[in-house]
Amino acid sequence: MSTPPTINLTRYRLIRNGVFVWLTLVVLGAFSFGGYLLNIPKINILEHTARNLYFHVPMWFTMMAATGVSAYHSFRVLQTGDYVRDIRARAAAMMAVVFGLLGLLTGIVWARFTWYVSADIWWNFDPKQSMAAVQVLIYGAYFVLRSGIEDTRKQARIAAVYNLFAFVTVPFLLYVLPRQLESLHPGADGNPAFSDITHPVMRLVFYPAIIGFIGLFWVLYTQRVRLALLQRRVDHDDDLL
Amino acid sequence: MKDVRLELRNRYAINMLLMFVFSALLLVLFAVGQEPVSERVQAAVLWIVILFSAAIGLGRAFISEEERGTVLLLQLNTRGSMVYAGKLFYNFLLIFCLNLVAVGAFVVFLNVNIRLPGLLLLTLFLGALGLAGATTLLSAIIARTASRGPLLPVLLFPLLFPLLLSVIGSTRSAFPNGLGWSAAVDELLALTGFAGVVISASVLLFDYVWQD
Repeated sequence: MSTPPTINLTRYRLIRNGVFVWLTLVVLGAFSFGGYLLNIPKINILEHTARNLYFHVPMWFTMMAATGVSAYHSFRVLQTGDYVRDIRARAAAMMAVVFGLLGLLTGIVWARFTWYVSADIWWNFDPKQSMAAVQVLIYGAYFVLRSGIEDTRKQARIAAVYNLFAFVTVPFLLYVLPRQLESLHPGADGNPAFSDITHPVMRLVFYPAIIGFIGLFWVLYTQRVRLALLQRRVDHDDDLL
Repeated sequence: MKDVRLELRNRYAINMLLMFVFSALLLVLFAVGQEPVSERVQAAVLWIVILFSAAIGLGRAFISEEERGTVLLLQLNTRGSMVYAGKLFYNFLLIFCLNLVAVGAFVVFLNVNIRLPGLLLLTLFLGALGLAGATTLLSAIIARTASRGPLLPVLLFPLLFPLLLSVIGSTRSAFPNGLGWSAAVDELLALTGFAGVVISASVLLFDYVWQD
């Protein structure tokens, strides 16, 4: 058991507000059109829905980042048995679910109103979409498992084992799914590569958007970690009462 | 290990699994009726039945130890990896027999003909290995939880998507309209890799679940 980490609040607030300002700029950049500065080029089929690129794609990057953070902290739980690591793993898993759902939602809406307008299909068996759904399922199971164990130390250890175990099976999805399912994503069979359809102007917003959403993940994640630490102090420290 | 002998003596799990497979297949049979079923659906139904019966039957492995109160003895006397190996072997045998029976029943009931029995056998073998590898660690996990039984499918199914897709793919290749060995190589490789990764990850992680 270690002492709870000390938090430099001034720096924390600075970074948090920085992230919010950054994201505001990204959103402004994403929706600026009609002769203003960042007019996106016209792309076949996509047209203005291409702006979804700024939101949909960063969700995946963020989910991957959250998954990685969660798995790393789960690994450290097994190494050290530290409860702070467990709190971090859990918060990151929660964020992975949130961003995974947002990515699914933006992806489904995008596909529905761009490629399947007449077909009336909401769910398409896109490999990346299926993978995200599976990833969300895994974390759902992770939280169900956590609630099934009462002893907190045992809960931390066994949840970490499950998290890592699930983490190692995910690469197989990456390998197996694209062989069996068709994709709407760039780079998949017959679709143009990502670099062919993105204009430099779009990248001007796209890359900051990735940074911005990962920053948003960081803000939400640290906030949940701090909340959980405070909760724990309320539960365990008698001097506070 | 002793599990196999114990199982041979009381035959509880194997009987239960066989009954489950038969009744599930009969349900499918009646639900489908006389309609001819496409090969993809045949493969899918076969593996869904196998997965569900595995999820029900294999969860017993460690719970039975807890119930009989032999956990402490095993923890003291043997190394965790030996316990894991024993359970894995037992689960693997169980699921492999189950697969063979399920396929046999399938052939009889649904008039499936199989063009490449060797390919199907290899698929069943690798599928059973991956399935046993995944369920053994998870059944050790659920033996530690309060609710036990119904949790295993919840934990297991999200992990089995790659396995399910690969086995269905290579099972289809073994059917008359399938593409044969050349098309199944990818899937067989994926299955081998899945089983390998799952089992080695289990060996590494098992001690953390096993020891208090």
